[in-house]
Amino acid sequence: MPSKKHYIITSITLGAIAMASAVLIGVTNLATRNQIKKNEQNKINAGISEIFGKSATISKEFAIKEYKYSNYVYQVKQEENDNNYALRTTGSNMYGKVSLIVGFKYQETEYVFSGLYVVSNEQTYASTLVENYIDPLNKKTRDLDDVSCGATYGAKLVRDMVNEAKEVVNKGFGE
Amino acid sequence: MSREKGYTKKNFLKGLFIENPLFVSILGTCPALATTKSVEAAIGMGILFTVVLICSNILVSLLRKIISEEIRTPAYIVIIATFVTIVKMATNAFLPELYSTLGVFISLIVVNCIVLGRAEAYASKNNVFDSLIDALGMGLGYTLALIAMAFFRELLGTGAFSFGKIFTFIPAFKLQIIPKGYEISMFQNPAGAFIVFAIILGVIAFIKNRKDELKLNKAKQERIRKEQEAKLAAAKETGGNQ
Repeated sequence: MPSKKHYIITSITLGAIAMASAVLIGVTNLATRNQIKKNEQNKINAGISEIFGKSATISKEFAIKEYKYSNYVYQVKQEENDNNYALRTTGSNMYGKVSLIVGFKYQETEYVFSGLYVVSNEQTYASTLVENYIDPLNKKTRDLDDVSCGATYGAKLVRDMVNEAKEVVNKGFGE
Repeated sequence: MSREKGYTKKNFLKGLFIENPLFVSILGTCPALATTKSVEAAIGMGILFTVVLICSNILVSLLRKIISEEIRTPAYIVIIATFVTIVKMATNAFLPELYSTLGVFISLIVVNCIVLGRAEAYASKNNVFDSLIDALGMGLGYTLALIAMAFFRELLGTGAFSFGKIFTFIPAFKLQIIPKGYEISMFQNPAGAFIVFAIILGVIAFIKNRKDELKLNKAKQERIRKEQEAKLAAAKETGGNQ
């Protein structure tokens, strides 16, 4: 039977390996954190340009907390009187996380969905979801509720995220 | 301990051909089927995989006398998961397009049988240098296997090869090989990946069988020749005695 000392040494070894791993991951996080944030911001800007056009600029941004998927709001202007919004929404299911920018343009009486941009997509069927659902949605060749696309669960998640964002933007932000 | 002459070369080359992790050991097939839509993605996956394999093999080999039998597997998993996390963060920061393209398959390197397999079967029993060479050979073998699959999938599925700034996934120009309209887009889908994989495995099995057959025939001929020589010698001996 192994001695008490053996158990202690074994525990210490595993603890030390875990500790060293934590330190290494922490250091890498410190080294890459700013660059990752910068890349994400670049992606958001690219998404807003793609949805609203190259001249679009973010005039105001703020976080929202009370919703399941929508967590950040960007007020986008192209011209002086524009009042468009882009919402950052993040959701996940058993196939992974997906983060999107959902654009809305004000038309007559309400905000209407005007485009989607993928900020990050960790879904197992990531490319299938983009190629078969998100891209056709942007090209207006697919309906939001038509989720049978080869990545149905991912598409259902995106549909729910867009629907929630639409509800949020039409409810207003108390301005 | 005496070392076999040319061991390092043999150790390196075994991962490329004789023990190729993908085509011979049939390990790491999940990312091989999922990330081989384009040669660019396959190269990216191969490089990230090789980096993780090299780092984990080196560390496992360094700690092989410290890590006791009971905690071997959890310790190796912690080591591999650490390197995968580091590689994932670095890719996200410095190669964001590659990170987006490979998605969840970077994280899945943690559960790639090859990495844990090499740690368990090789690095835990050998010195750092040999473990490094083993990881390099296996990593390169896996990368080349991925590239081979991606080559056929991209060629048959899109009919063209795209070239541009590496890992930006923005093609600067396209080399159209199969005329437009004649490409078979199925090869870009999972079914196509399985078909390409099966064809490559079939070709390898055919070559291997043919080689074995030739070897067997050669050995048979040699045996017959030796038997004939022995008979001739025996006949000569008998003739001489009479």
